[in-house]
Amino acid sequence: MSALSLLSSGEREHETFILNVGPQHPATHGVLRLKLTMDGEYITRAEPVCGYIHRMHEKMGENRTWAQFLPNTGRIDYLAAMAYGHAYVAAVERAAGIVVPARAEYIRVITSELNRISSHLVWFGAFLLDLGGFTPLLYAFDDREKILDLLEALTGSRLTYCYYRFGGVCNDVDDDFIRGTREFVAGMRPRMKMYRELVTDNIILRKRLIGIGHISAEMCRKYGATGPVIRGSGVAYDVRKNEPYSVYRDFDFDVPVFPEGDCMARYLVRMEEMVQSLRIVEQALDKLPGGPALTAGVPRVLKPAVGDYCFAVEAARGRFLVRIVSDGKEIPYRVRLRTPSFSNLSLFEEASQGMMLPDALALLGSLDLVIPDIDR
Amino acid sequence: MLDDVLSLARANSLWPLTFGLACCAIEMMAAGASRFDISRFGAEVFRPSPRQADVMIVAGTINKKMAPAVKTLYDQMLEPKWVIAMGNCAISGGPFVYPGQYAVIEGVDKLFPVDVFIPGCPPRPEALIEGILKLEEKLTGKRRWPEVIPQ
Amino acid sequence: MISSLQELADQFSKLIPQDAPLPETPAAAGASCAHGGVASQASTNPVQMVDYAIKGWHLDVRARPDQVVAAAALLDENGFATDAVTGVDWIAEGEMEVVYDYFHPANSWRVVVRARVPRSKPEIPTISQVYPGANWHERETHEFFGIVFLGHPNLTPLLLPEDADYHPLRKDFKA
Repeated sequence: MSALSLLSSGEREHETFILNVGPQHPATHGVLRLKLTMDGEYITRAEPVCGYIHRMHEKMGENRTWAQFLPNTGRIDYLAAMAYGHAYVAAVERAAGIVVPARAEYIRVITSELNRISSHLVWFGAFLLDLGGFTPLLYAFDDREKILDLLEALTGSRLTYCYYRFGGVCNDVDDDFIRGTREFVAGMRPRMKMYRELVTDNIILRKRLIGIGHISAEMCRKYGATGPVIRGSGVAYDVRKNEPYSVYRDFDFDVPVFPEGDCMARYLVRMEEMVQSLRIVEQALDKLPGGPALTAGVPRVLKPAVGDYCFAVEAARGRFLVRIVSDGKEIPYRVRLRTPSFSNLSLFEEASQGMMLPDALALLGSLDLVIPDIDR
Repeated sequence: MLDDVLSLARANSLWPLTFGLACCAIEMMAAGASRFDISRFGAEVFRPSPRQADVMIVAGTINKKMAPAVKTLYDQMLEPKWVIAMGNCAISGGPFVYPGQYAVIEGVDKLFPVDVFIPGCPPRPEALIEGILKLEEKLTGKRRWPEVIPQ
Repeated sequence: MISSLQELADQFSKLIPQDAPLPETPAAAGASCAHGGVASQASTNPVQMVDYAIKGWHLDVRARPDQVVAAAALLDENGFATDAVTGVDWIAEGEMEVVYDYFHPANSWRVVVRARVPRSKPEIPTISQVYPGANWHERETHEFFGIVFLGHPNLTPLLLPEDADYHPLRKDFKA
């Protein structure tokens, strides 16, 4: 048998091999493990393996009093901690019948939207880092530091906020915060323009994202994917508009929707969301009412009414739902956290079939996952 | 004499392993970004491969499922190697320890020896830089950077 | 395609008729009558509209375990999306409750379907052939509660280690 005859033999079996990505990997945004069955450069099956950062949040909900669980809410998705705290606090307020003063609601909206911008900036930097561009990370973190300074002066934390309390917020805003936030909003608009010219219009980015990683609206519905994933597939679903909560009805803002369903659409949704969040913050500062920032008379040890309640918010990554079951005691009976990254990742197996590995990583980055959000 | 030069060279160019597990990872990234800039101390070159890294900054909670992977990474690092435990979770399990907990390893020093502990939840980037300076002090025997004393 | 929640409630009432006997448990009565539920409606009605401002959903459906797939199919036909599947361990009553949350991407409707299974034999059919998104939710509910989803393609641990044989969210779990 000569070598030539081996080469010219028509039948070549396609052998697949298993490539393990993670749990320690620069492109997985945390401890996610992907078991990829590869046919050359193409993925035939991608199986995400989670659980490497499972920190028992739901079990801790049954071991802590209602108020002791508040720091946990900041650590589920640490980049958008304000919205997560909001959902939990508001669910308990529903159960206990606590009314939140208007000023506190406006402060909650301002801090949640600032947190959304800082979360999208981290996503922006990390996503571009995955695609190979190191510089936008430094610019994004620079802008983010301005937000963090404002929120640190107000709440005391840079990252894992525990700022909302049952009945309002724990610290009222002062004039420095208002002035600083207005300066930030004024300075951020030209920066968004710079990002568009420097990064969004960059030909390399466009070639890497346009047409890559198509997710249909029907797939989003079947998997429960929300946030920029469903809005990048043409469906205008935003909890702030569909199930308005807090004082979002008072503001005039758009929900960016792009119909293409590819990575570029999801990218553009998030960039545009940052601009809309700046609008909301500005309007909220203009309309900020006076009054207390925390309802008086909330008992120190809260015992909400028996039953189950839930509250949903639009976090930076999608729909976050807290479902609490109370049996009238000071410790919850059950706290269920429905996180957006969990549902968003569950469609990765179906969406990545037949993709090339670098494109699949671009898809993973465009889903904007935070792994402790999945594992809780 | 040669030892002094070698330890100075090692201290000045500690290459960390990208090992951000949870929230502390973001503060580690912020320390590597332009405002806090650990590049001033030679440590901005985060290596994805443990074979090329000097120091493993364990930033985040270690899980029972993750522990074998962490141990493998530690074993794969070449001597001389150091470990910085960043954040309360890496020091002792952090806020996730309660009686009857089933998933968290209470401190990374239960797996392998740690050189510097940085408390905080998460520690500020300045605290991480101070931790790196403490490690440099451990390597070279003396502190080469001024100590910041609050007024 | 229905045009109102009342129409959906009527379709559910046809699927889950009121005369079908449902176990009347104190916690279920608490959930539907006290604070947010429609107190005037008889608590034996399995399909109830609840006060959204207090509870966070519009329609509450109490189904038998063998009716959850039909309920999921009805919601799928009407354009709902799967939100979450979870369990609640009612150890004092010897039962586990499986709670299905659904939301609608085109409007604000929210539906909750709940079913109770006995703790000694916690089995319920899977809805993952209707909603692939429920696949992971059911895996998680299985590993935390031990509820077996009949017909599920891959009921292995998702968040716990692969060889985990314990169910942490059970009320009698000791580490």
